[in-house]
Amino acid sequence: MTTTSTAGQDKARVGVSLVLSRELVPLLYRLLVAALLCSTLALLTESFLTAGNAVNVLRQTSLLFLMATGLTLVVLTGGLDLSVGANVGLSACLAAIALKATGSPFAGIIVGLCTGLAVGLANGLLVTYLRMPAFIATYGMLWFLQGVTFTVMAGETVHGFPSSFRIIGSGFLFGVPVPVFIMLAFLALGTLLTRYTTLGQQIYAIGANREAARLSGIPVRSRIILAYVLSGGTAGLASLVFLARLNSAEGDIGEPLTLPAIAAVLIGGTSLFGGVGTVFGTLMGALVLTLVLNGMNLLSIQTNWQPLVTGVIIIVAVFIDTVARRRGAV
Amino acid sequence: MLQQTRILLAALLLTASSPSSADGERIAVMTTNLTNPHFQLVRAGADAAARRLGASVTHYVPSRADSIPEQMSQIEDLVVRKPSAVVFVPADHKALIPGVERLNAAGIPVVNVTTRAAGGKFVSFVGSDDYDLGLAAGRHLLRAIGGTGNVVIIEGLKGHVVSMDRVRGFMDAVKENAGVKVVASQTGNFQRLPANQVMENLLQAHPKVDGVLAANDAMASGVVEALEGAGRRAKVIGINGTKEALDAVRSGRMEGTADYSSFLQGCLGVTAAVRALRSQVVVNEFVFPANLIDRSNVDRFDIPTEGRPCPDYEALVK
Repeated sequence: MTTTSTAGQDKARVGVSLVLSRELVPLLYRLLVAALLCSTLALLTESFLTAGNAVNVLRQTSLLFLMATGLTLVVLTGGLDLSVGANVGLSACLAAIALKATGSPFAGIIVGLCTGLAVGLANGLLVTYLRMPAFIATYGMLWFLQGVTFTVMAGETVHGFPSSFRIIGSGFLFGVPVPVFIMLAFLALGTLLTRYTTLGQQIYAIGANREAARLSGIPVRSRIILAYVLSGGTAGLASLVFLARLNSAEGDIGEPLTLPAIAAVLIGGTSLFGGVGTVFGTLMGALVLTLVLNGMNLLSIQTNWQPLVTGVIIIVAVFIDTVARRRGAV
Repeated sequence: MLQQTRILLAALLLTASSPSSADGERIAVMTTNLTNPHFQLVRAGADAAARRLGASVTHYVPSRADSIPEQMSQIEDLVVRKPSAVVFVPADHKALIPGVERLNAAGIPVVNVTTRAAGGKFVSFVGSDDYDLGLAAGRHLLRAIGGTGNVVIIEGLKGHVVSMDRVRGFMDAVKENAGVKVVASQTGNFQRLPANQVMENLLQAHPKVDGVLAANDAMASGVVEALEGAGRRAKVIGINGTKEALDAVRSGRMEGTADYSSFLQGCLGVTAAVRALRSQVVVNEFVFPANLIDRSNVDRFDIPTEGRPCPDYEALVK
């Protein structure tokens, strides 16, 4: 960790220009990782650099990124949300049931978003007012949510939603998938929030040094709760996009998502100790993870080799990032 | 804690289906997770059989899906509680052999359902043959695409015996058709989302795909969504016969699916256990035929679970 205890206040005080220079180099490195991966794949297979594949990669990235944006805020505060996948699972299932019961996309969207937000709020309260370690609190939440989801679904699958709802996951606007627009909106919102608002600066400050943040008058608890609520909200929104994309929900829908979401945040350069990181970095992390799967499928890499390849690429990506962090700090 | 979990699960799942006579046989039914629709139907079948026979059923399901240690501690629990018999789906075909041996040592009869355990003593095995299902599904799909063209295989969880057997069946069906080429065989982890994204990717690499063999129905549904999203056409087949797949077969979005006989597995599992306790004849093993469900016969398989009766044991095993 190269960030000093005053990094948070530094940023708040000195402002945007220094932050940019401090983070410009790592940012370029992160772009470099994605670019390296892209050019390697382009050399290896001609099906990579096609419009169709670009649409795929972006859409798949957006699904992962949506979950990871809110999570980035939580990690920036020095917290963690292990329940994010389970939250997506429960939100998706409840939204699916509401959609099916009422036939109204509006009802489904409200139920999905509210479930996500409520879970986020619960996490935030556990971590702040009950002073539980985030890892354990959200790990407990993960089990709780899975239990509720399994009980509600009872092994059934809810499928077949109105096309007016499916637009948000499967629709296109000017030839670009709708989830990609949602992704860009969240990238913009997330960047604005973290970079140019007091709330964003406070989140960095809390992550950099919680005690210093408290002493300087930042309402630490309410800011942390807000971060968890936002994380729950993006999980709820992601659940709707998943639902609309897959046209069906079942109990284990969120299960494969938690680790990739956390990995996207960390590969993107956000520090697990808080205070350092960007939403853009998370986008790059999500992109790298998506490209790995995409590349392995295009190249038809044998199933048994896929975990190994994934592991090597993640380690190389993080290595490049570590180098970048050292350079950037100088 | 475990006790609580079990009681909670029992309360949630039991559907208290069998308000049986107090002296009826008490059957413990062990399945491996709460998410797979197959096990949901196995449990429903088990309840239906108990209803028919005047026995009672308690369900044991690990709270962590397919957890070997959790099943092991459930078995330890059962050795103490001594149910009349156990109907057992092992979370792993090898790792739970010591568990079965403990039940054997305690003198509790065990019926093996769905996944064939590689050891231990069983009154009977009831299940479907995954290789046969893969072969039947593969043959049906390849016939549907005219015995020629490019196919994609979507595998299940890597290293999982069910996936390996089903894919082996697919491959043997492919070998029977000289004109068929497997352009890709990739894993979808038995789950919808991974299968969906893998198929989206594969469609980019392979401009011509005529058929897709998916190792279960959830992945087949993910594949169908990927095809429709990309505006491409290919015939898709799955395995299991879930309600969702039956709907897709009826509407023509899926070519077919192979029947895993889930409900009947539960029926026959409990029936075999009760018959053994009543000293009636029980067959060593009953493997369901690999029936194929397509548009022509889908209605015959689409039976609501609630109130669905169990068939007569003797008529079925004859």
